[in-house]
Amino acid sequence: MRPEPAALSPSDIQAEAAFKDWVRRLVRGAAELQAFEGGQIDAVMDPESGNAILLPEAQAALQGTSRLVLNALDALPGEVCVLDSTGAVIITNRAWRAFVVAHAGAGLGVREGANFLEACRDAGAREHVQAEAVATGLHQVLAGGLELFRCDYVCYSPGGRCAFSLNIVGIARDGPVHAVVTRENVSERKRVDASRISGRTKAGRIAAVMQAGTTNRLLATLPAKEYEQLLGGLEPVQLTYGEVLYEPGEPIRHVYFPSDCLISLLTVVDGHRALEVGLVGREGMVGSRLAMGSTNSSVRALVQGTGRAMRMKSTRFLREFQRSPTLQRALFRFTDALMIQVTQTAACNRFHVVEERLARWLLMTRDRMLSSEFHLTHEFLADMLGVRRVGVTSAASALRRQKLIRYARGVITILDQRALEAAACSCYQRVQVMQLEAATHTA
Amino acid sequence: MARKRAKAPAARETVTTVVVMRLYVAGKAPNSVKAIANLEAICRRYLKDRYKLEIVDVCEHPQRALADGVFVTPSLSKLSPAPTSNVIGNLSDTDNLLAALGLPAGDLQ
Repeated sequence: MRPEPAALSPSDIQAEAAFKDWVRRLVRGAAELQAFEGGQIDAVMDPESGNAILLPEAQAALQGTSRLVLNALDALPGEVCVLDSTGAVIITNRAWRAFVVAHAGAGLGVREGANFLEACRDAGAREHVQAEAVATGLHQVLAGGLELFRCDYVCYSPGGRCAFSLNIVGIARDGPVHAVVTRENVSERKRVDASRISGRTKAGRIAAVMQAGTTNRLLATLPAKEYEQLLGGLEPVQLTYGEVLYEPGEPIRHVYFPSDCLISLLTVVDGHRALEVGLVGREGMVGSRLAMGSTNSSVRALVQGTGRAMRMKSTRFLREFQRSPTLQRALFRFTDALMIQVTQTAACNRFHVVEERLARWLLMTRDRMLSSEFHLTHEFLADMLGVRRVGVTSAASALRRQKLIRYARGVITILDQRALEAAACSCYQRVQVMQLEAATHTA
Repeated sequence: MARKRAKAPAARETVTTVVVMRLYVAGKAPNSVKAIANLEAICRRYLKDRYKLEIVDVCEHPQRALADGVFVTPSLSKLSPAPTSNVIGNLSDTDNLLAALGLPAGDLQ
């Protein structure tokens, strides 16, 4: 490419004249020359280098367009950044830069020049799972395997908890794939949605809670009168995949009754390695340790499937628990069922092969989510099963080869439930039978 | 990437002549953008769906321009029906363009 021609120094003017002479020699025929002299030409082909060479006017116009595009990006209210094929941030807009300053590097606020993938890797423990999912999505987009990756995530910054919606789109030209990341702070919208769900009046709020709450089976087992008593303290919330509800040792501020979301209980070892020890969905609640007299969580509670739940403040929950024998019985039943699951899982993790455990885990997830399709990464599954990622990959491939599951772009679909039950270890059936027995004996 | 814009002939017309053209442009440079707009306006007005236009961006595919003997852009080549012809520039001279495409000025077909 020629250097910038617009400057006025004598050497530049000379270069300009030399360039024009070169073009005049290159063009053939009167029509080409006439168009060139009339300013109707944008580029000429250089037969030596084989490249198209832009004329000064076209170059200046394109530079002006580039500036305009950058200004247009700055004018957008949403946060935008552009990544090169290695994940390095090469362009950011004003809203993105403002976010980086306001959140002091937290919540994937990556500066120009830094690498987005590295920022995902270095995310704090509370944001680790979500950041990993984002990194996996970004990898897929940059590798050309995915056009659009979209996810919601929650970040914990000094300013408080914020919910974000993130989009990553690949820009595929002839060269390596670049990516455009757009992010929208949806905290306010979620808050408005939640208040709309809960309604302004007490009656509206109770109706909304009843609608959302009845899908939780623990609440549904309560007699109508007991349930109505609880309603005033329940609040519908939307929980997002990867969100951490409790960390080990942290106080339990709310208890959660999942409606259509799924919560993993993880035991953290050596401060960073985690293993799933329990799975709670619409059949139970999270935070039942409060009922046993403890105020802190013993596990990390991680949202594993996005969905709705009802939550209640811990103080209110304790009051209700002490007051209501029915609630006590329901909770003891659930805790017993959870203990059955936890003890069986402990033995299962030690004695059964990854493929069987993966099948069991997928079935348990399906039972609680009431869906045969869920969003999961291999890294996430490796954490759940306490094995290395390659172990999960080969186990998932084996199940896929047998046509029991389909796995594409981070979404696992159960294709044949019966056959998957046969492929799972005996723990799946055993937990179901034991829980059923326990429920029958106490009922 | 070369964009291909193919328009199928209308089903009701039994005998049609499709004009096949190739336009070489340099990205979003001003004369190139004008040339595309001017050509498409003419095609819509005079040819309806009886044309095939391929747009080649020489910034991305310089070798195509060199192989086709094109040295400056924007440059329009009419490939068929015979005779072939070339128009250089931003195609703002409508009469010249119509003549090159073999369309009598003012003939709305």
